[in-house]
Amino acid sequence: MSLIGPSLTCLTDPEALLVADASTVINLNASGCARKVLDALPNRFVVVDAVPLELAGGRQRLRQDSDLLNKLVNSNSVEIVRLDDGAAKDFEQLVVGAAAMTLDDGEAATIAYAVSQNAVALIDERKAIRICGERFPNLRIGCTVDIFAHPEVQRALGKDVLSNAVFNALYQGRMRVLSRHVEWVVELIGAERAGLCVSLPSSVRFGITGCEGKPKLG
Amino acid sequence: MTLLEEMSPRDVGERLRIARESAKFTQADAASAIDVARTTLVAIEQGQRRVRINELQQLARAYGTSVNALLRQEAVHVDLAPRFRKLFDSKDEAAADAAELMANLARAEVELENLLGIRRAGNYPPERPILRGDVRVQAEHDATELRQRLGLGIRPASDIVTLLEMEFGVRVYIRRLDSRISGLFAYDEALGACILLNASHPRERRNQSAGHECGHFVSSRRSAEILHRNEPENTREERYANAFGRAFLTPARAVMQKFQEVTAGAERLTRRHVIILAYFFGVSREAIVRRLEELGLVKVGTWDWFQANGGITDEHVRQVLGDLSASDPHKAEADRPTTLRLNLLAAEAYRQGLLSEGQIARLLCLDRIEVRELLDSQEVEGSESDWTILNLPD
Repeated sequence: MSLIGPSLTCLTDPEALLVADASTVINLNASGCARKVLDALPNRFVVVDAVPLELAGGRQRLRQDSDLLNKLVNSNSVEIVRLDDGAAKDFEQLVVGAAAMTLDDGEAATIAYAVSQNAVALIDERKAIRICGERFPNLRIGCTVDIFAHPEVQRALGKDVLSNAVFNALYQGRMRVLSRHVEWVVELIGAERAGLCVSLPSSVRFGITGCEGKPKLG
Repeated sequence: MTLLEEMSPRDVGERLRIARESAKFTQADAASAIDVARTTLVAIEQGQRRVRINELQQLARAYGTSVNALLRQEAVHVDLAPRFRKLFDSKDEAAADAAELMANLARAEVELENLLGIRRAGNYPPERPILRGDVRVQAEHDATELRQRLGLGIRPASDIVTLLEMEFGVRVYIRRLDSRISGLFAYDEALGACILLNASHPRERRNQSAGHECGHFVSSRRSAEILHRNEPENTREERYANAFGRAFLTPARAVMQKFQEVTAGAERLTRRHVIILAYFFGVSREAIVRRLEELGLVKVGTWDWFQANGGITDEHVRQVLGDLSASDPHKAEADRPTTLRLNLLAAEAYRQGLLSEGQIARLLCLDRIEVRELLDSQEVEGSESDWTILNLPD
């Protein structure tokens, strides 16, 4: 497989600030080569201070994401930022209200900061993406796979290392993959390893082509 | 006007107070965390001063929660701690942790049920307050009445946990607790009746704890209760609950009948008899022997005699029951980060886009990877691609 061109990733603006949610940090850490990936990106990469706090909670379960993020900060691969008063208003709108229309603090702070800086928010899950689309239609949204698929990252890592990194993010971190990226991911890591990644759709893992045979409730 | 300004300051203050007490912060500690005077914090908690969003963020961080968890419309804010506080020493952290665990599980379950529009079927039996006179007689009577209501007759009720859940709609959780704690019971208008049992205890002991808590549910459900292992019967309520549990799990008539059947032709009570009877009724060896003593079927002191002569060991049980003694699915489930029902509810809320990964993590006290494992185990694969085939017909 040849390396994929820039069209797959939405991270096409090298000047854009990238603001990552905890989910992206966890996926990058699970890849085993977070620093190499981030250093290959031409963009500035930040996380809002709510994210390290959330990751610190995982220490009780012996998760290493908090320590790994600290290392990335110490090596200047990641910066920690705080919401200003303007962003705090958007943050408030994202955390106060009905459950279906709100997000937890780390997710909300990531989006609010990205809005305030005209940056790209890196979020991996459907609800957060939906809320962004409804409230901030002009906000640019990316996800972890967009980082892996970035041409500079592909060039810096090479196919084999990139393939292992994405497999690790899937297998260890249970990285979520949006439908537009599934084909690229499976081609990169191979069908056999894709079968081991339970966060990938079962249609990919088991070669199911439709919903025949799936029991329906009456 | 922002959504925060639209909320009642009194409601916000009450939520903050409950969160502070759950986090075991004094008002002075909390005031210091946001750099205000204690009187200001008191005013915030009493709804006399509106809290600002930056103060909310600081307080949420100090309390180990999030602003969203505090102010999400559907979040359930019930504090069970004060109901337990008088029941144990303030230094008994294991008891405080168990009470907090039960509150967390019940709050999460109720919020998820509310979000998904699920109404839990509650079919509580009538309360039977403890009257003057012999509590044991009352407990025997009330246990028999409850058995009749359930149509159990004198059959063993070895799966009392399922009975409590399915017949009455009691929220029963089985999690690993400090070994000194056997079970907890609490009732709240928003949560309903809740029981937490210690998964680390053998199944038979857990059944007895459930029987005991069922006694509280029947006799004094407005009072919270915590049962410590080998707790002395200091109050009429405790004597009632123990007697109720014994009568419910080992009804006199059934024990007499089974005793006669098992010991037919024998001249002495043997370990084998005890093991078979205990297994039949789903209670411990000690509990069945004590019940035989209480019913006059063996001499008082029989259990002590066994104890003084090598006891009745787990090895003895294995020799008599073989593989029958091994199965305990609740133990395996308790080793998972959360309960199967919470898994199902959370996965459905995620699938419907009602909660995000971060919100579920906070609600169930899990980290993000545990949430992903939960969602994957419920076949809510992270990829959008599968959702099309997960859709159900209207």
